[in-house]
Amino acid sequence: MSYTLRGRLESRLAPALLPLAAALVLAPLLHVWWPIELVGLMVGVGVLLDVTVYHRRLPYQPGWLALPLGLLELGVTMGLALLLGLNAPLTPALILFGAGWLLAQVLGHALLPFLRLTYAEDGGELGRAGMALSTLAAAAVLVVGGTAWTIRPPTIHLAAGVHQGPLVLDRPQRLVGEPGAVVRGGIIVTSDDVHVRDLTIFGGEHGIEVRDSESVVLERVRIGGATLDGISARRSSVRISDCRIDSPRTAGAQGIDISFALAVPPSKVERCRVTGGAEGIVSHLATVLIRDNDVSGTSLRGIAVTEMSMGEVDENRVRDAVGVAIFCGDYSHCMITDNAVSGTMPDPSGNPTRNGFGILSYFGSVATIGGNDTNVAAFINGRFEPR
Amino acid sequence: MQERVAIVGSGLGGFVAYATLRHGGLAPAEIAVFGDDPDPAGAWRPRAEAIRQRLMRSESDGHCYPTSFPGLAAREAGRRRDLAPLLLSVCDRYRPTVAAFLGHVDELRERSRWDESFRHARIARVTAVEGGFDLHGLGVFRHVVIAPGHPGLAMPADLEGDPRAVHAYQPHRYARRVAVVGAGMAAATEWLNALEAGSEVVSVRRREPARRPLNVDRTLFSKRGLAGFHTTPSSERAALLRELSEPSYPPGRAWDEPLERAARECRFRVEAESNGADQVICATGFRRGYEHDPLLLQLVAEHELETAERWIVLAPDAAVPALTDASRTLSLAGVPAQWAYPAADTLVGMKYVARRFLRRVVRCPTP
Repeated sequence: MSYTLRGRLESRLAPALLPLAAALVLAPLLHVWWPIELVGLMVGVGVLLDVTVYHRRLPYQPGWLALPLGLLELGVTMGLALLLGLNAPLTPALILFGAGWLLAQVLGHALLPFLRLTYAEDGGELGRAGMALSTLAAAAVLVVGGTAWTIRPPTIHLAAGVHQGPLVLDRPQRLVGEPGAVVRGGIIVTSDDVHVRDLTIFGGEHGIEVRDSESVVLERVRIGGATLDGISARRSSVRISDCRIDSPRTAGAQGIDISFALAVPPSKVERCRVTGGAEGIVSHLATVLIRDNDVSGTSLRGIAVTEMSMGEVDENRVRDAVGVAIFCGDYSHCMITDNAVSGTMPDPSGNPTRNGFGILSYFGSVATIGGNDTNVAAFINGRFEPR
Repeated sequence: MQERVAIVGSGLGGFVAYATLRHGGLAPAEIAVFGDDPDPAGAWRPRAEAIRQRLMRSESDGHCYPTSFPGLAAREAGRRRDLAPLLLSVCDRYRPTVAAFLGHVDELRERSRWDESFRHARIARVTAVEGGFDLHGLGVFRHVVIAPGHPGLAMPADLEGDPRAVHAYQPHRYARRVAVVGAGMAAATEWLNALEAGSEVVSVRRREPARRPLNVDRTLFSKRGLAGFHTTPSSERAALLRELSEPSYPPGRAWDEPLERAARECRFRVEAESNGADQVICATGFRRGYEHDPLLLQLVAEHELETAERWIVLAPDAAVPALTDASRTLSLAGVPAQWAYPAADTLVGMKYVARRFLRRVVRCPTP
């Protein structure tokens, strides 16, 4: 089709109303701003490309070009989302973008030509309705996106060097470490919508302690020297990614401990490397997704989903655990798939339930397993189901 | 219910206008179609058969349905449960077969109840009268669209009366040595037809044919290009239309390879004259200009309509400005509407006119 500039903008903005509406529903449901910010960015990038590139370079746009142009817009949008620190999780963001794009294609290639006889001849213009819809969409994007942008949590940058802790984060904010920034004595999070990124934390009882908080993101943190847990989250929903944790092998010290969180949204731990600790990653009474982590050298269990937790343990690598590598215990329901377990050693105590098992289902727990290359065992009404 | 809309011409241009008016909410009883053949493809079909056309040149919008979507590609995809037609369509590569196109015309003819509105009558004169247009004594209509089709086949003067000569759009077989005069789509089709029939082919042409997917630049199919076109001064606009009507056929190996192979076998060559051929096929298209159409010629003369070279000057929506106002409409469709829409002789162009004609009809309800 040969779009006029007005036609391009109207054909862009009118279909954007639906993704925007979806974002407006999603954002309060998930207690996050990113869907609104992402749709705003999507529309903004599209409009900018329409005005500066497409209109000049594409006097005629064959239908197939929608796909490469969509990929270009996806790349620019996601790049800007990263650059602006939008905090949008990749997969949901891709789904939202893809759904918005698909909707625009269905509207542009099928529904609008069906509903409006002169759609193609008018170069994508939608008449008076198009003007009204576009104005509404543009205004909505500007107002909602602007609001989201202005009330987003402040970003605090920690300069390189040692900062004495414990730092208490008791309101929404983004704490970003410059290269070389170290916090000595730990961080305590007691507010929703806290994002900690690119920091090294040394010492303290817990490296990072999260209490009664949701939408907490811990990204690229390095933790060492804590006397107890590397990360301890209670009654909280956290997303932890790309972390490095060195824990002592003493009793009661865990690499990551997420507990008492069944009443809040699920937590997620991914791409972390946890060394040492009694347990590397453990959940009690929580819903967790533990994926693509490296856990090694634990003295009690490598990864544990226990005390009526619900958890997915997927594609992790657990090495050199003493006793049990992956544990599903105390009436928990676990999905344990595609993990690589190696070097698990029997516990010197001689406890028969800790005889160097790759996966253990214990005390009324149900573990659904598949694709794990290791030995399994069940005790006290623990059982396994195939995937 | 009183007839208030008349379509003069029962070919594809009239048929597209009818389907669009029906889609816009007009009942068959409100529309009268005047023509000499109730089959909307009655004029087009023998021409396509004559040049052995198998595929439509137009792309996915080359159909008579009033809405652009779903077109033939989407319907074929649905029928065959196969995405290939849709994928070809988005790549501008979907070309329905002539049989599929004709089948769709028959289906739409029945569904739109075209035959209920058809009146077997050739209109030779349209006169503006109080409250509308008198159609040669057959009634007065407030809104009239004239879709007269091409005003006859064009034969080179020096071949008139030559017993060897036949027009490409007339039924014919192929002799042993064939000269094809012309360089457009019909000529290119005839080169391949004659070669396939085993003939030796001479292409007689005065200039190298243009190679382009469509005769008209794609931007001129929409408002983007039309906005500038409609503001172009008359002389420039006429020059552009002349340029666009120069013969062309699409680029591609499907055309080139058979010709190159035949040339290597000395069965195809280009010459300036048709001397020595057993048969001369004139792929020279149609007569051009309103002067060749008695109805349009009368219309211009009787109402002193503005013209530019061979075109009647029209408003951007293909209405005749001097005879159209808030209470009545006279529009031209098909090739005479090129002044408003350069590709008016295509199905897309016919829809362009029909949709704007519908808009005027809807805005002007029966008093």
